Parts: sequence; structure tokens; C-alpha cells
Amino acid sequence: MTPAEQKNFSLARALSIAKKEVRHIVRDPFTLTMALSMPVLLVTFFGFIIDFDVRNIKIYAVDRDQTKASRELKDLFTSAQLFDVIPAPETATPLQLLDEEKGKAVLIIEPGFQKKIKRGQTAHVQMGLDGADNQTAGIIAGYVAALQRAAVSLAGVKPNAPIELRTRFLFNPELNSHWFVIPGLAVVIVGILSILLTALTVAREWENGSMELLLSTPVRPFEIIAGKLAPYTALGLGSIIFVYWAARFVFGVPFRGNHGLFLLSSILFLGTALAQGLVISVVTRQQQIAMQMANMTGMLPSLMLSGFIFPIESMPVFFQRLTALLAPRWFMTANRGLFLKGAGLAELATPLTALLIINVVLLSLAAKKFKTDLEP
Amino acid sequence: MNPTIWGFLKKELSQAVRDPRMRVMLFVVPVVQMTLFGLALSNEIRNIKLKVVRAPSDTLARQLEERCLASGWFVPAQGDSKETDYMHLLRSGDAHAILIMPPEGLTESFERGHGQVQLLVDASNAVRGRAIETYMQAVLAQVVQDKMPLAPAGPVQFDIRMLYNPSMRTEIFLVPGVMGMMICLITIILTSMSIAREKEMGTLETLISSPAAVWEIILGKTLPYVIIGMIDVPLVLGVAMLLFGVPMRGQYWELALSAFVFVCSSVSMGTMLSTFAKSQQEAMMGGFLVLFPCIQLSGIIYPLDNIPLAIKWIPYLNPLKYFAVLIRNIMLKGGDPAVMWPNLGAMALLAVIMITVSFRRFRGTLN
Repeated sequence: MTPAEQKNFSLARALSIAKKEVRHIVRDPFTLTMALSMPVLLVTFFGFIIDFDVRNIKIYAVDRDQTKASRELKDLFTSAQLFDVIPAPETATPLQLLDEEKGKAVLIIEPGFQKKIKRGQTAHVQMGLDGADNQTAGIIAGYVAALQRAAVSLAGVKPNAPIELRTRFLFNPELNSHWFVIPGLAVVIVGILSILLTALTVAREWENGSMELLLSTPVRPFEIIAGKLAPYTALGLGSIIFVYWAARFVFGVPFRGNHGLFLLSSILFLGTALAQGLVISVVTRQQQIAMQMANMTGMLPSLMLSGFIFPIESMPVFFQRLTALLAPRWFMTANRGLFLKGAGLAELATPLTALLIINVVLLSLAAKKFKTDLEP
Repeated sequence: MNPTIWGFLKKELSQAVRDPRMRVMLFVVPVVQMTLFGLALSNEIRNIKLKVVRAPSDTLARQLEERCLASGWFVPAQGDSKETDYMHLLRSGDAHAILIMPPEGLTESFERGHGQVQLLVDASNAVRGRAIETYMQAVLAQVVQDKMPLAPAGPVQFDIRMLYNPSMRTEIFLVPGVMGMMICLITIILTSMSIAREKEMGTLETLISSPAAVWEIILGKTLPYVIIGMIDVPLVLGVAMLLFGVPMRGQYWELALSAFVFVCSSVSMGTMLSTFAKSQQEAMMGGFLVLFPCIQLSGIIYPLDNIPLAIKWIPYLNPLKYFAVLIRNIMLKGGDPAVMWPNLGAMALLAVIMITVSFRRFRGTLN
């Protein structure tokens, strides 16, 4: 082999690395099952658990009026099926009920409530919300505003709005929160498992010393990287297909986009996750630290900063820009767009380009680290 | 102190903090991440990209648009303002909602006494979709109210008081939970991997064949991680209180006690995990399989009220769930005894069960 040949990327050498890696995977049934079945199991399990539909929020009512009007007001709360109105026990003060985590809100109707309404005055009703859980409290406050408008019925008047708002919920007309959670959950779970997979396998090679051996052969760093990543990309794609089935047939999430685009964005995303694992393993070279780093740079950001649950638009501008560095944030956009909105290439241009750039950066980072390790 | 355990303690602690990268992972990263999450995250839906379709001369519609933008909930949609393909706007994410005025104009239909405004909402995010409608209803009601000052006020007025967190800051809700998450992450991984490594290298066998008793080995291998976890507690607590102004309405001893029981239970979880794992790799995958559900089923990120009945018992096996309830109750509500003791008791019970299982499995290896 001439030196020139050695410098160039050789597919054959990359392939032999890949072959070796495939053998590793097949020989180790633990990794294989883990990589293929874990994502679909986790997505299904947590898909059932994560549910943002609001219903049966416990509200304690202190009714000091005990009239027809006050009962009607309480019925307004229960009729939407969102709230369970429970009479407050006499022994506890309203605040105590919230202190003891018994309910999320207390409603206090003062005596004379019905009288005031009959006289055409405005009756004030006190409501205390548990702001310690500001998520639920915010939702309750939103509904209470709507209930206040509906409460004109208590005075025997038909609600008269000169302008009516007709809302059409597109892409998810029933506001089924599973449709929103599942595509996002798939991103989080497939991403973190892919990072773990490569972070571990390569860190183990460093610990065993077999990586040094590999580096002393004529194989170029890029060939090692390509050879290592290819089998795991295939494995990851397999798991994505399982997850896709679960989303479609277990949860009934529609898929309105193009499958080719889905495949493309999946490959791009898997590339970034696997490359991130590779970078971690090259930098740490030790399994324990690799694991800590994978969790801190992989699991937490993809859970918290990718728009999975906390909306990116609500972040301060600086942090919105910062999330652009995270591959899960882009795959999240692409995935939700493809599943629910039927987004096409024009609409997905930004996320796909971003994924491509992150891929290139991470891969060259890994290759560069490899190279510096090669030199004595 | 028992010299065997003292020896373990010195060895484990120096091993854990010898590597400077590990020191960073253990003591700097949790602080940085908590700061990041506290500053960045908000579960309030804001900055909704809204496009209003109206005639330039329609004054009421203009007022409505201005009101929307002034409310702080809405911002103007991005992209080409001449774009008339609404579906494309929503699909590309340039707009989250499109408000379409009646054809004759809002001003005119208002004077006639009835009219319809259409709101197209991108409901691919169901939570945001619902919020957009609620916000728009509120803004619209206000605009109408302003136009009809003589209309009688509604019969019922709710006076809402946000208790414990009057300005509804997300960080007050989130930061205490994230503290628990960080501590859980560090202790479980560290403990399980450290024992798994000894197994992998075969040094655990040596330990077992040494004159040290099983309980000494277990205590020696876990105590250091309890200490590391407890060092992290004041660090993250400092960030929570000094940087984010999370109030501390309860007693410090209550918090210290809860944190101690929590750290013990997550360390014993890590220990139990390691008795099942044969290698570090298995410990790590197992660690993920334990940690991810712990975080998801803790009520830290979203409430647990909607879990299907059949699996409602699962979160009760999660120490992090109890700790999340405890730390929020102590810091924000002053620590109610009716919440404190049952949750502490449950956490302690879990710790005892897990450490007993580990003990038995260790002894099993011996025979």
C-alpha cells in the first residue's frame, strides 16, 4: 500500500471495522435487545403516563351561602369534567388543605352570594390556587376566566357576546395530548439510548486497551468512526421503525408527512446522537465518567431544553439561541411537523440543515480527537 | 470508628474525586445545569406567533390586534406578511395561530351586534393550542367590554389568589424538583458503577474473601456516596435560594433530614442495581432504565394526576417522587407535619427494603 492510498478514506477498511462491530453487537444479546426493544417499550410505557389533558382537578369548596345560586356555581365547575368539587371538611382551614397537598384549589363562597346576584350586583367569590404547582394553577386560572363569563347564566341571562370566537384546532382537532407527547418522547428516548450505546462501547475499548491496538493499524480515524457508527445507525433505524409502529397503531397518532423525509431526518438525528456518544467516549475514555457525561449532556438537555415539554418560545431569547446547538430540538420540530402537520421539504429546511451541520461538527470533533491521540 | 469502614471511606472518596473531570461532573455540572434550567425554562405559554388577517381600515380589528400584542402572550408571525397560504404558515411554524376577521370587517359586524371571528390554531402542541384559545377569548372579551362600558358587570367575579408563589414564577416550582433530580442522578450512577467496576475487575471477590464482614463492605461502599450526595445538597440549595430566590419557609433541619433520607435511599437503589449488573455496561444501562422512570414518575416536570389507574402504584416505588413532594412542601409551604412524616417514612422504608435485598444478594455471591 502506498502512503497516498493510506491517507485516503478507504471503504474497505471502514467496512471491516463495521463487520467487527456487527459481530460485537450480535454476540452481545444484551446490547442488541436493549437497542432494538428498549425505545419502543419506553415510548409506549411513558406514552400512557405523560398526559397533559386536564381533568378531575380537586377543588375544595367552602360554601357559606348554601343556596340554589351557590350550588349552580359549583355545578358550573363540575360540568366541564375538569374539576371535582369536594365540600371542604369543617375541621380544616382552607389554607391547611393546600398545605397538606390535599387539593389544588379552594373556592370560598361567602354568605349573601345569592342575594347579591338577585339584586343585580356582582358577587365576589374567593379562590385560592396552589401556586407551588404553577403549571396546574395556570391551567385552572385560564378555565376560571371562562367560567366567569359563563356565570352570567346564574343571573338568568343568556350569555350575549356580540362577537363570537370560532376556533379551529388544526392538525389535532381533539387536542389529544398523546399526539403531541409521543413524537417528542420518541426523540428523547432514541436520542439518549443512542448516545449511551456508543459512549459505552467505545469507552470500553479504551479501558480494555483494544482501541490503542486499533489505532496502531493503518486504519484512519475517519474509517474507524464510519465503521463504528454505521452498524449503530442501522440498529437505531430499526428501533425508530418500532417506535413509529407503536405511535401509529398503539396511540393512533397520524402520520401526514413524507416517509422519505422521515427516514432522512431520522438518519441525520441518529448520526448526531451516535457522534455525541463517540465524542464523549473519546474525551472521557472511562466508562464511569462517560456515563455521567452522557446523562448530563444527553438526557437532561433533551428532556428539558428541546421543546419536549417546556416551550422554546417561552425561553429568554439567549436561551432560545442556545437550544439551536441541540440536535434533539431540531429533530423534535421535524418529527412533530412530519407526524402531525404533514410538513414538506420547504418547511423542514431549517431543522434538516441544522441537523446536518451538527453532524459535521461532531464527527470532525471526534475525528480530530482521535488524530491527536494517534500522535505520540 | 470501625477501621475497615474508615479505610473504605478514604479509598472510595479519593478514587471518586481523584479525576479532575469527575470533580467537575460531581460538583460543578449540577450547579451549572440547575442555573441553566432555572433561567431558561418556563411552562407558561408565551410569544405565540399570531397573524391577524384584516382590512387596513378596520379600526376595531386593529385594536384587537394591538391588544393581543400588548398582552405579552402574542408576537407577530414571522415570514412573508403577504403570505396567504395559511396552512403553509402554520406548517412551517412561522405562525402558531391565525386570526381571521369577518369579511365585512369587525367594526361593522360589531355595530350590527353579531359577528364571527375565526381563529386557526396549530394544535400539534395540544397544551399550547388550548392556551391560545383561552388567551384569545380573554383578549376579545376585554376589547368588547371596552366598547360597551354601559353593559352591566357579570354577576360573579372570581378573586383569585395565587398562594405560595404569587407571581407564578416557573423557577419556584421547578428548581426544588430539579435539585432532587440532580442528586438522584449523581448518587445512583456513582454507586452502581463503582460496585460494578469492582465486579468487572474481580476486586470484589478479593474483598469478599477478605476478613471484612458483608455489612462492612456494603456500608464502606455506600457511605462515601452518601457523603458526596450530601455535599451536593447545600451547593444546589445555595443556587436555588441565592440565585432564584426560592423561599425557604420551613425549617432547615426538616430539609436536611429529608435530603439525608433521600440520598440514603437513592444510594441503596444504586447498590441494589449493581448487585444485578455483571459489568459496568450493564450497570449503566440499568442505571438509565432506573433513572429515566424515576425522573418521569416524580411529578417534577409534569403532574402525576393523570396516570392510568392500572399503573398508579408505580410512582409509589420512586424515592424521588417523595422527595419532590417533601422539598416543595418544606421550601414553599413551610413543611406540614401531615406531609412530612408519611413521605419520609415511605422513603426510609424503600431504603431499608433495597439495602436488605442488596445485603442478601451479596451474601448469596459469597456462598
